[in-house]
Order: sequence, then C-alpha cells, then structure tokens
Amino acid sequence: MLDAAVREALTAAVGAANIVSDPVGLRSYECDGLTGFRQVPSLVLLPTDTASVAAAVRVCHEHRVPFVARGAGTGLSGGAMPVADGVVISLQRLRSVVEVDPVDRRAVVQPGVTNLDITRAAAPHGLYYAPDPSSQQVCTIGGNVAENSGGAHCLKYGFTTNHVLSMTVVLPDGEVVTLGGDSGEQLGPDLRGVFIGSEGTLGVVCEITVRLLRVPETVRTLLADFPSVTAAGEVVSDIVAAGIVPAAVEMMDNLAIQAAEKAVGAGYTLTTPAALVVELDGPAAECGEQFEQVKAICDRHGCTRLHIAGDAAERARIWKGRKAAFAAVGRISPDYIVQDGVVPRTRLAEVLGRIEQMGTAAGLRVANVFHAGDGNLHPLVLFDADGGELERAEELSKDIAELCVELGGSLSGEHGIGTDKACSMPRMFGVDDLATMDRVRSAFDPHRLCNPGKLLPTPRLCGEKPGRYRPHPLEEAGVIERL
Amino acid sequence: MTATMLAPTDLRGAHEALAGTSGPVEIRGAATAADWAGAPQPAPTVLDTSRLTGVLAYNPADMTVGVRAGTPLRELQQELATHGQRVAFDAARVARGATAGGLVATADSGPLALAYGSMRDLVIGATVVLADGTVARTGGHVIKNVAGYDLAKLLHGSYGTLGLLAEIVLRLHPIPAASRTVRLDGELPVAADRAAAVLASALEPVSLEWADGTLLVRVEGTVEGADARARELARLIGGSVLGDDDAEAAWARHAELVDTASVRIGCRPSRLAGVLAECGGTAVAGLGTGIGTVAVAPERVAAVHDVVTAAGGMSVTRRRPGNGVGAWGQRPSALRVLTAVKNELDPGHRLGRGRFEAWFGEEEARS
Ligand SMILES: Cc1cc2nc3c(=O)[nH]c(=O)nc-3n(C[C@H](O)[C@H](O)[C@H](O)COP(=O)(O)OP(=O)(O)OC[C@H]3O[C@@H](n4cnc5c(N)ncnc54)[C@H](O)[C@@H]3O)c2cc1C
Repeated sequence: MLDAAVREALTAAVGAANIVSDPVGLRSYECDGLTGFRQVPSLVLLPTDTASVAAAVRVCHEHRVPFVARGAGTGLSGGAMPVADGVVISLQRLRSVVEVDPVDRRAVVQPGVTNLDITRAAAPHGLYYAPDPSSQQVCTIGGNVAENSGGAHCLKYGFTTNHVLSMTVVLPDGEVVTLGGDSGEQLGPDLRGVFIGSEGTLGVVCEITVRLLRVPETVRTLLADFPSVTAAGEVVSDIVAAGIVPAAVEMMDNLAIQAAEKAVGAGYTLTTPAALVVELDGPAAECGEQFEQVKAICDRHGCTRLHIAGDAAERARIWKGRKAAFAAVGRISPDYIVQDGVVPRTRLAEVLGRIEQMGTAAGLRVANVFHAGDGNLHPLVLFDADGGELERAEELSKDIAELCVELGGSLSGEHGIGTDKACSMPRMFGVDDLATMDRVRSAFDPHRLCNPGKLLPTPRLCGEKPGRYRPHPLEEAGVIERL
Repeated sequence: MTATMLAPTDLRGAHEALAGTSGPVEIRGAATAADWAGAPQPAPTVLDTSRLTGVLAYNPADMTVGVRAGTPLRELQQELATHGQRVAFDAARVARGATAGGLVATADSGPLALAYGSMRDLVIGATVVLADGTVARTGGHVIKNVAGYDLAKLLHGSYGTLGLLAEIVLRLHPIPAASRTVRLDGELPVAADRAAAVLASALEPVSLEWADGTLLVRVEGTVEGADARARELARLIGGSVLGDDDAEAAWARHAELVDTASVRIGCRPSRLAGVLAECGGTAVAGLGTGIGTVAVAPERVAAVHDVVTAAGGMSVTRRRPGNGVGAWGQRPSALRVLTAVKNELDPGHRLGRGRFEAWFGEEEARS
C-alpha cells in the first residue's frame, strides 16, 4: 500500500483529475494482453504532459515506489503488468500528433498515439510510418518503442528501432533527456538504440520523432497454396536466393487457415496444408518483373492455387485473413497461447517438424502463423483450460520458445521477454551476458523502480537458480566461444 | 613511453588482453579514424584488433554473417560478393581498410545510409569484452530478435570507451543487379532544391549527395528498372545518367572529399544546405540524410561547431584542430546517464580516455 503522503504527492504531480484509485477502475489495469499474469496496482496515473510524467517519476524515485509505464496494454509478454505496491503510469492521455513534416519526412508524436494514427496523419502527404504490428489500430507508439515492435513488413523495412530518430525520455529518477537527434549522427554511444526494446525498464518515453517513408509506387500481393509447409518454405528460400527482398512473406498452416476462414472468410482454401502471402512493393516496372519471378518460383514448387490481389480491396481481404489468424483460433479451440520465437530462416522446416512432434507428444494441437521471411514463428498452442490442459500448454509453449534458441534463434522476435520469458533468458544468454545487461540497467535505474522484475530473470521470479544455460549451437560447433 | 602492443587473434586472446592487464588501454583497429573525435590519451597498453580477423559463420541463405571485429569490411565485402551479397554500407574509409568493428565504434556511414542506415541498423549481434575482461554477448544470429538489451547499439559510436567489440554479426542484403548514377553540376542551393524534388518522387534513390559542386543521385534495382528510373531522375533534375566508369569516378571523388574533411555534421536534412553555406570550406552534403562533412581551416572549426549547434545539429572533428578547440561541438543531453553507463561497464575508466574529451570527468577524477 502507498502511504498517504505519497498519494498526495503523486496527486499533486499529475492533478486529481488524472488519477484512478477506485478498486473497479484499478482492476482494468491488472494485466496486459497476456492475461494469465495479473496484479492490481495501488494507483494509476494518467498524466497529460511530459512535465507531469517527470514530476510523478520524481515522486516515485524519492519515495522508492516502483512504477510501470503503460500504453494500450496489448503487450503479449506481461511487460505492462503492474507490480505490487506500485503505480501504473498510463500514457493514454498523451495522444497528440505534434507535427508532421513532409519535407524532412518525419513526425513528432506523443507516446499514446496509436501506430496507425501516425500513418493516418502522414497519409495526406503521401507518407507512412513503416513498422506495422498486427495490433496497429490500438497499440501505442510508446509501447512500440518499448518493445521494438515489428510487423509483417519489417523484413524489408526494419523494426521500430530503425524508424525512431529521437525521443524525449523521463529517466527513472525524473530527469528529462533527449536520446537521438535530428539525423542519424550521434553524440557518442547510441543510448536511443539501447532504450528502444528495453521494455519499459529504462525510463518513460514521452515524445517520439519517427521517420516517415514515401508510399511505394506499386504494391503487388499474392496468396498461394502449397501441398506442404516444406514446399512453401522452399519458395521463401528461392525468393531470397533470387535476390528479391519482398515487402512481406507470411505463412499459415492448415489449422491456422481453418481458423481464419471460420472467423473472417477471406477466401483462403480450407483444405490446403499451407499458404503463403507474398507482397512486393516499389517502383512499378521492377515490382512487376520480380512478381513474375515469384509466380514462377511458386509454380516450380507445386503451387496448387495462386490468387493475385486485383485491387486494394482484394489485398486488404488477403491481409484480413492473415491478421485475423491469432484471434481466430478462438473459433477452433476454447483457449490458446500465442508463442513468439525466431529461428534462422533456413531452419523453418526443421522447427515446424519438431513442433509437430512436441505437440503430438503433449497431446495438443499447434497452429502456425508466421513471418516466414525472417524466421519469426507464432505457434498457437490450442488447449482447453476446463479440461485441465493449461499447465501442459504452457509447458509446450515454453519448450517451443526454447527450441528456437536451441536451433540458433531467439526467444522472441517481437513480443518481448516481459514477465513471461524472463526465466527463459538463461537459455539464450550466459551469466555474464545477463550480468552485463543488468549493469546497464543499474546505470539507468540503480534502485530498480522502473518496471522491476521484467526482462531479466530474478530469483523471486525464477528461483535462485534459473534454468541452466545451454550452449548456443554455434558455440557447440566451435564457431563462437564463451570464455 | 612506448606502449605494450597486444594483438589478439581470437576472443580468448581478446579476453586475456583485458583481463590480464591493468591501467588505461587504447583500442585500435586499422587506425583509419585515429584522428577523429577527441585525441586518445597515450595509454601504456594498445589493444590492436588488426589480427582479430576472419569470418566465423556465414550461411548465405540466412543472409547474415558473423565476423571477428578486426576484419576489414572491404575484404568481407569481397567474400560476400561471390554469393551476390553485401553489407549495405559504403563509408568512404572502407576503401582504406577500415575494420567492421571500427566502423561500428565510430558510428560512421556513407551515401547508402539514405536507404540502409548506418552500421547500427545492420548489426544484429555482438560479442563484447569489457574492461575487466568480462565477455558478453548481445543479440544473436537472426535478423528479428528482441530478447534482452541491444548492447551492439550501445557500442555504436562508443569510440572504444565502453568495451572491445570482438565479434559482430551483420545483416546482409542482395547486391542489386544494376546501379545507376545521375549527375548534375551546380551549387548547393540548386542541388538542395532538386534533392527535394527527388525525395518527393517515388523514384527511391539509395543515395542523394552533393559533393562540392556536383549532385549525385544513385538508384539500384533490376537492370531495366534502374535504367528507367535513372532516365526519369535525369529528366526531373535536369542532369545526365553517367556511364559505369564515370559513376565510379564521381563516387571516388565524393569519398576523397569525405576522407579529407575536418568536421562531420548532422542536422535536419532541410537545414543542411544552409548550415554548410554558413560553415564555408569544401563540403559534402547528404541531402536526404542530413549528414555532411566540411573541410575548413583549423581556425574555422569553432565557428562550424557554433553554426551547427545553433541549427540544433551535431558536429565532431575528423582532424584535430590543435588550437584548443573541442572535438565535439555539443555534449549529449543524457550525459549524466551515459556517464553512469561508463562507470558501470568500465569503472576504472581504462578504455578510450580522451575520445570524449572530459565528458566522463576524466581530468577531475583520474589522470
Ligand atoms: C492481436 C495482437 C497482435 C499483435 N501483433 C503484433 C505484431 O505484429 N508485432 C509486434 O511487434 N507486436 C504485436 N503485438 C504485441 C503488442 O501489440 C506490441 O508489443 C505493442 O508494441 C504494445 O503496445 P502497447 O501500447 O499496447 O503497450 P503496452 O502493452 O501497454 O506496454 C508494453 C510495454 O511497453 C512499456 N511501455 C508502454 N508505454 C511506454 C512508454 N511510453 N515508455 C516506456 N515504456 C512504455 C510497458 O511498460 C510494457 O513493458 C500484438 C498484440 C496483440 C494483442
């Protein structure tokens, strides 16, 4: 519980109209998109400008009260889950687009602005904001910065970190600083780069200047069916080998397709074992030329149906099927867990085979939707909580993420570590790696007030001896070494 | 004082070099940026990375490569080219043998930055050796990865002050089938005007640079596509499409001007032409990136810093003015936390003394 003096000081910092303290109101902040982890906060602050965020953080710092920044709460790793006896600082009332500069192709926005609203503001100038998480209609740019969010088009265009020029950040002791600058030029080490993707543990971002890109001249999209996931995977390899950098390459397996079709009827083939969505964009002539190449590659690998989007509406429909897939599995299973792991793209077929075996062994179904171009998997573990399958499903999901590490990949491609995977970090990083990250955290937040307990494993969360580190496969092959 | 030279050839050697010594250390690569930023204070130990070379992992189908950080990027590019791939990075000093790690540590970039950014945008993993010999890995071998803090970015621009980059993993891109350059001779204001038209078009230039009297615009793509866009660009700006040899010569001249510059600056792209005009001297301007260089007489450097600062930009010298003028035109807004990072990673301030002049309070605290 917060004592009265702290409450008073926090109220003074953000204003009485910008505080939630009633139990019902507080309950709506108890979790993010990963609803299994819950904790009701002591207080929620809804500051309306950078100065009041800084004032609130200073109060927290002075009284050693832990705080958690929160955007739209769509995070999928428990990153915005409150901490006991701490406060939540919601950035939802900082939601204006401060400036769109069509000449220097950038926008200045507050952290509560949704990802899609940036593109909406830029659109009249023929510009857009490139990173496009599937949750873009609701997730905030502040959350995107914290998670270094990606999206289907990040294969070609990069992630949040590649599109943020500078930020106004309130550090964990309340100091307001600028990270980054007006160009890519840096004054010393790139603190902006380490802040992005730090999952709310290094401070609160209060204003962001993002790069905007010119809308490409042409976009071509196809949906292709294949007799197997392996065949679809070979298509992806051949596209890459041909020197083509597609704007997006997404794969869905049969289970995911069935679910998506039930939910939105986007015109996918119900019986196909696998489908690929391939999108190319850029100058019209080149796009057309490469699109023909992609079609030929699809044919070569036994494509059973090729549907080309004839116009924007058809393209939107194809994407609707893909983007609906997550939520849609709710139609074919009472409960599900979304996993997010990465493998080197060349090991996609292998990892899918292993996942299938693991699913069978656990007696659970796994649907697969993924960003095939960059090896980012989103296996959806289907289960029935009422049937007592939760624990098995969680175990399987965790095993899949750790399998990705074993295959030379990563625990997370975009959803982050948060609360969910902190205890798996020792599978991917050694003691010294984690200790070094912790040193950086100490530099920013010596008192561990800023989103504590997230990202790095803690004894409280994981037990004294978190899971054993397994050597990276390249380490076993003698390619890299750890001393 | 003659310094002890340590030239490890692998990670173990790099670890031993730092774990087994004490006192200040200067990390040195190919020394192509030896005169950049603040002057390193003479250190009893020099850690030379020029033998820390070689490709560690390269699977062309994954389009990533892991290398020891002392590998000259030029050599790496040659090897990648046999597979039709490249690191999409072309800073001028690559041609002089700059190492992959040195290019990261100095936050350098070249004309391709307009499309691909700098090394920070291409580094996906690193193995770093801290001042106490701790070996820490960050990132990994996959392009998409958000697990843990991205320490490779922290080391980007650190000038050997936070740790030794021993190994790095880079994301690769395909070498395009064709590259075409359009040229227009003209003064900077005209070039800036044409550049704005190019940026407003859908022609997707990968480089857009004015180099002392010449505007150069490069496009890359398929043969037919690049040809068509180059012709359109030539029409748009009133310039001409260069043949391959002329294009090569034009970009070589550009690199030479960058190599001989005395200050590098970065600001809002639309302000760059105005800033450079005020700076005087011989200039190169990345009109899409806002990054440029100027060659001015030593006594003009202080004025350049002032002009850039007034425009909200950043400036750092690439040639020591040697007249008491600072190397850095500005201090970072987050200097307090940056110093805290320095103190955490290198508590004894062993590494890279002088590169950031007195940012970390060197003179007062320890000398
Ligand atoms: C259906 C669905 C689809 C999704 N698809 C994608 C996808 O394609 N790609 C992808 O990358 N992610 C995806 N996500 C995950 C999620 O949307 C992203 O992680 C998003 O960036 C979170 O934004 P948010 O505003 O909801 O942040 P929150 O969930 O509120 O917070 C996320 C983290 O950011 C921190 N944070 C929030 N605001 C700030 C701030 N201003 N300063 C500092 N820290 C802050 C929080 O403390 C927390 O740690 C998806 C989620 C859902 C539910």
